[in-house]
Amino acid sequence: MAARLSGGGGALTYFLAAAGLIFIVSPLVVVVALSFSEASIATYPPVGFTTAWYQRVIVDDEFRQAFLTSVTLALASTVASFVLGLPAAYALNRWEVPGARTIETILLSPFILPILITGLALLQFMALLRMRDALTNLFIGHVLITLPYLVRTVTASLKQVDRSLEEAALTLGASPWRVFWRVTAPQITPGIAAGCLFAFMVSFDDFPISFWLSNAENMPLPIYLQNSMTKVFDPSIATMSSFTIMTGILAVIGLEKLVGLRRAMSV
Amino acid sequence: MAGSGTATDLALSGLTKVYGTNTAVAGVTLRIGAGEMVALLGPSGCGKTTTLRMIAGLVEPTEGDVLIGGFRVTRIPVHRRNIGMLFQNYALFPHMSVAENVAFGLQMRGLAKAEIRPKVEAALSLVRLGDYADRLPSALSGGQQQRVALARAIVIEPNLLLLDEPLGALDRNLRENMQVEIRQIQKRLGITAVLVTHDQEEALTMADRVVIMRGGKLEQVGTPEQIYSRPASRFVASFIGTSNFLRGNVAGYGGGMLRVSLAAGGQVLVPWPDDGRREVLISVRPEAVALAPLAEGAMPEIGVPATVQQVVYRGQTTHVHMQLADGEPFVAFLPNRVGESAGQSFAAGDKVSASWSPQSNWLVSDA
Ligand SMILES: Nc1ncnc2c1ncn2[C@@H]1O[C@H](COP(=O)(O)OP(=O)(O)OP(=O)(O)O)[C@@H](O)[C@H]1O
Ligand SMILES: [Mg+2]
Repeated sequence: MAARLSGGGGALTYFLAAAGLIFIVSPLVVVVALSFSEASIATYPPVGFTTAWYQRVIVDDEFRQAFLTSVTLALASTVASFVLGLPAAYALNRWEVPGARTIETILLSPFILPILITGLALLQFMALLRMRDALTNLFIGHVLITLPYLVRTVTASLKQVDRSLEEAALTLGASPWRVFWRVTAPQITPGIAAGCLFAFMVSFDDFPISFWLSNAENMPLPIYLQNSMTKVFDPSIATMSSFTIMTGILAVIGLEKLVGLRRAMSV
Repeated sequence: MAGSGTATDLALSGLTKVYGTNTAVAGVTLRIGAGEMVALLGPSGCGKTTTLRMIAGLVEPTEGDVLIGGFRVTRIPVHRRNIGMLFQNYALFPHMSVAENVAFGLQMRGLAKAEIRPKVEAALSLVRLGDYADRLPSALSGGQQQRVALARAIVIEPNLLLLDEPLGALDRNLRENMQVEIRQIQKRLGITAVLVTHDQEEALTMADRVVIMRGGKLEQVGTPEQIYSRPASRFVASFIGTSNFLRGNVAGYGGGMLRVSLAAGGQVLVPWPDDGRREVLISVRPEAVALAPLAEGAMPEIGVPATVQQVVYRGQTTHVHMQLADGEPFVAFLPNRVGESAGQSFAAGDKVSASWSPQSNWLVSDA
């Protein structure tokens, strides 16, 4: 893991990694820089330094409402994906379920279906069923796209668990239920944590599903940002975006503290 | 481990496992006495592991029954069978310390902490790992890990100890030490044990009785001595150690001896209770064979004429590889003394007479 890469291949690897990092990080840096600009429109380079936008955004009720909606939605879909995804992945991998492969493919299908179309289809479907509560609809839509992340990571972790550990526990007198909690769960915790992080971020960041299912009262942050941007383009947009970035960073740090990022991402 | 005086016997009755169209185990019936250690031995894929896992309850038999202590456990799940099992990869819980690993089975039985601690300590000192209680398994060598697994398996005072190639991942010297150690502990505690291995030396060293399996069936069951010196078939004779095979016809019977004239020329006497056979296949162990120079064209009175092909010095023994008149191979292991190689007097191309005592002859079935 700590082995250094050397030679031509090594140089290329470092170059690509650096290029990737620059392309991912520098736009984010621009956004954060803009959020401190004294100019009245969001143009680069930023002018001066002020925290005025932060003070304004923090007390903005609409922003707070959107942020809260997004966090609530992301937490709720993460929990729901965990509650549904863990047993589903476990059953598919440990029991002899007829048609297990088909079920797994269906559960993972949101990965490959275009999300924008999925959202539109959901909207029409929900209209048909007269499901009018936007928050519920958003929740269902988000679970649909976050569940695959849990199923995927838990499946990958379960495949890595040495089956003889579970068998040894069984022979030692542990019921299957206790085998899961005492032996399997500790082995797959990093995978579960990674899946939850993905699920949280996918929901928190989601635009295409929310685009169809939100309304004026229940507007997740990405939709709210997009709406605001079409009205004004002052640095408060950059400030709100910075809050999104920070939420992502906090989630990653939380995961690192909880189980160690390297372990979590090794699935 | 004071209370492990309740040794239980094990019986398998018509035990069968079919996977799709492949019969992995075909009607195995076997009785294993209380406190006995039996080794299941056989080539890869003959159904050893499947049999062991059916005894454990990890694989559900297609047919047949497992009886522990006379009690039918076929439908009882693994975790209620009270079985200790060793796996080839040790299967220690990586997130638990050595002591926690050993305590696991006792916790599952609902014992109080105060009861668990002395038992864990006793089990760990039995496998000479008393000082390692707080280590994680990853900080132990392979041999130490398997000793922890042994402590973990016996601390629950199991009715049965099942071992699936427990020493397969260890190097040779360590393996021999562990064979002796596991065997001693098993005997001391009087646990009924089933060992799966494809290492014949391991089976002969550790087991009271050896079961040779072939294609899902039992080929022969016997003590190591019986299996080695009285193999039932050509398969067993060549699977355990090395054997020479001689075809012949019975030419006479007298004084409890068959006189067999060999297809390769020459004749031998075979002690045998009856003379019901005409064509026979004789198995002779190479270490029983003595060689003597033979004049060109001569025929030994007792023994078989052969032509030396290769002489290989092997330290304790010299292997003399020969060819018989009917083209079959024949080999003799001659003991060496320091400074004097037994094979010195023979060279490739020499005509020799190979002979051995009648007691070294054994008739086997040609299968
Ligand atoms: N889960 C399974 N599904 C299908 N076939 C299986 C399964 N387990 C074992 N088999 C087959 O059953 C036969 C016996 O396998 P088993 O593992 O018992 O052999 P073994 O004697 O332990 O061999 P080895 O010495 O290689 O471990 C083999 O042909 C194997 O391919
Ligand atoms: Mg096996």
